[in-house]
Amino acid sequence: MHKFWIILKREYVQVVKKKSFILGIVLTPALMIGFSVLPAMLAAKKSSKTEHLAVIDQSEYHIGTSFSNELAEYKLDNGMPYYQVDSIFNLPEQDTAQYQAIYDSLAQLINENVLKYFLVVKPDAPMSDTGIYLVTNSDNFRSLSRFENKLSNILSSIRLNESNVNLSVDSVLSLTRRVNLKTKDAKGDSIPFEIKYFSSIIFIGIIFGMVVGYGQLVMRSVIEEKNSRIIEVLISSVSPFQLMFGKIIGLAGANFTQMAVWVIIGAGLYSMKGSFNIDSSIDRIIFNPVIVIFFVLYMISGYLLYSTIFALVGSIVNTEKEAQGFVMPITMMMILPFILGIYVIQEPNSTTSVILSMIPLLTPTMMMMRVIFIAPTLTEYSLFSGIVGEALLGLLFVCLAVVVMVWITSKIFRIGILMYGKRPTLPEILKWIRY
Amino acid sequence: MRLQLENICKTYNHTPAVDHLSLDVPEGIIYGIIGPNGAGKTTTIRMIMNITLPDSGQVLIDGKPPQPDFKNRVGYLPEERGLYKKMTLMEVITYLAELKGCKPGEVKDSAVQWLERMGLGEYRARKVEELSKGMQQKLQFITTIIHKPELIILDELFSGLDPLNIELMKNIILELKRSGKTILFSTHVMEQAEKLCDHICMINKGKKVLDGSLTEIKKRFGKNSIQIEMEGDGAFMASLPGVLSVTEFNNYIELGIDKKTNPNDILKVIIDKVTVRRFEVVEPSLYDIFIDVAKIDPTEFHNKMKGAASA
Repeated sequence: MHKFWIILKREYVQVVKKKSFILGIVLTPALMIGFSVLPAMLAAKKSSKTEHLAVIDQSEYHIGTSFSNELAEYKLDNGMPYYQVDSIFNLPEQDTAQYQAIYDSLAQLINENVLKYFLVVKPDAPMSDTGIYLVTNSDNFRSLSRFENKLSNILSSIRLNESNVNLSVDSVLSLTRRVNLKTKDAKGDSIPFEIKYFSSIIFIGIIFGMVVGYGQLVMRSVIEEKNSRIIEVLISSVSPFQLMFGKIIGLAGANFTQMAVWVIIGAGLYSMKGSFNIDSSIDRIIFNPVIVIFFVLYMISGYLLYSTIFALVGSIVNTEKEAQGFVMPITMMMILPFILGIYVIQEPNSTTSVILSMIPLLTPTMMMMRVIFIAPTLTEYSLFSGIVGEALLGLLFVCLAVVVMVWITSKIFRIGILMYGKRPTLPEILKWIRY
Repeated sequence: MRLQLENICKTYNHTPAVDHLSLDVPEGIIYGIIGPNGAGKTTTIRMIMNITLPDSGQVLIDGKPPQPDFKNRVGYLPEERGLYKKMTLMEVITYLAELKGCKPGEVKDSAVQWLERMGLGEYRARKVEELSKGMQQKLQFITTIIHKPELIILDELFSGLDPLNIELMKNIILELKRSGKTILFSTHVMEQAEKLCDHICMINKGKKVLDGSLTEIKKRFGKNSIQIEMEGDGAFMASLPGVLSVTEFNNYIELGIDKKTNPNDILKVIIDKVTVRRFEVVEPSLYDIFIDVAKIDPTEFHNKMKGAASA
């Protein structure tokens, strides 16, 4: 037992004192924040320059003029108008030659960036759904939705005047407004889908990173000792089992050190959450005891399962290059939940989702996803049924898988680490298990 | 510490690597296990260290099965050896000593002394990867004995060392023996075993072929040999009366002669035919005895040894 701690300590210190470890602690959250916040910030960035438009209006309803008037309500931050309609060409339908000439010159101006948009109103615009179109080189969805709204209103009022209904445009619009369908869970609250989705990505992203990242460190550490040929010196002092577990637990310690730092960084960010404009319903996920407890349990059990597999791989290969062939499929198993997750989060309670989340190699991530989606909506928890019961059953399966893997690996490990040169074949490895 | 093996067997892929091997290594001697590559030396040692489990038979330490503290009382220098390249010399020595049950501060002073003696004193704060191969070899030796083991197992200790360092190591091994340690020395280079060991066990193809103290073995196989260094063609010597065997080495020939033949008679005959530079009546070398006892074809064996030496 005593020697186990000495190995554990060395493995821990060797990782923690590396510059890459400290860099990783700081850079990873910075990158994560950068990747999620930066695009949103850029997309939300407001224009600071007036956007110029033109209109070719072939209808008889002066749609161009109404449009120009309606747009006047949008202002830039500095008080200048957001949109400026430079010119409106009212053309009779028959004058195709002039239409073509104007169209071409406006198109030219768009390409020269003098104009940002020009609107073409066909003669049948009020009666057709496709009688108006916009020519532009930009796809700014904010402006497009504004234009669509304003034009819909203009067309509605024209149609209203043409019909015999004796109502004002505003009252018709207010009478025909659309319903805003929101979802609430059984608890009577609602957590926006994006919040659940992003928090599940972050939670299982952390599990993935830790399990694969630190699992591979276990593998590398074994390969390094095999390569430098110190391994036989080591197992003349300690048992192969002590050596393997000293490594696995020592690196788990480094893993938890990293987590602890992240929790502190996270707490700091959380205290400033007001300035990030995050929906406060996230509290119901990150402070949900079921989610937090299972997150910790799945991270530990998932790490034990995968790091044991990685230790096995390390013991039978000679170089990291050789190991890559094994690492790929193992990593794929962990990535699978990110792909299948799109289904699972839509139907977290379906039989397929339940079965998928009970496969030990997938449980740490898939079950975690389900827990995040289901647990906050429940009013009470039962240990034997529902999501908590399933998550516990899944955990039990993972633990059983860990026991089996440890048994197999300890058999293979003690022989594999002394095999240099040719990589053993599968039948050979299977024979080692029976020794 | 007395080490005994009783009928140890180990089979790999239906080929016996070690076949009913029994050894008795008394305390305080240098015990040599010799044999060609693939004879089963390393497998035997790994079974002593409980690194490989024997199929049958048992290892006894002072008459009892190994106790939990056994590994702490042994210093093992494996044939396949290495150190952590990124650690400093002192760190490596301390860490490996800790794994042998020493307290971290306990070995510091003796580590410094050993490093000084090995000529590595000025490197103690450097990383292992900065050392030359020979220096790493010496450092490895320090890590093997730093925890004052009672039994020291050295598998091919001298491979890769220059003569000066071999001499240094030999002196240390003799000192360790004088201080009562038991030393198990395994090698395929028989000349080394001959110069160092008190007791020899020869193994071939996993079986013991000969076992006894060096003097006893030499007495038992007391046929005479003559070593001749000369210029000219020595091919005729094989047909001389009384000559049993001719073995050619790089710069001399060794003749095995029967007990009745007087070496003087041989000298009289050959001196007319070749220019003799050295003529020496010697005891049979372990190599000759091995060839004789193991009943293997000398040329085949010779090639095997050459292959081993160049490998």
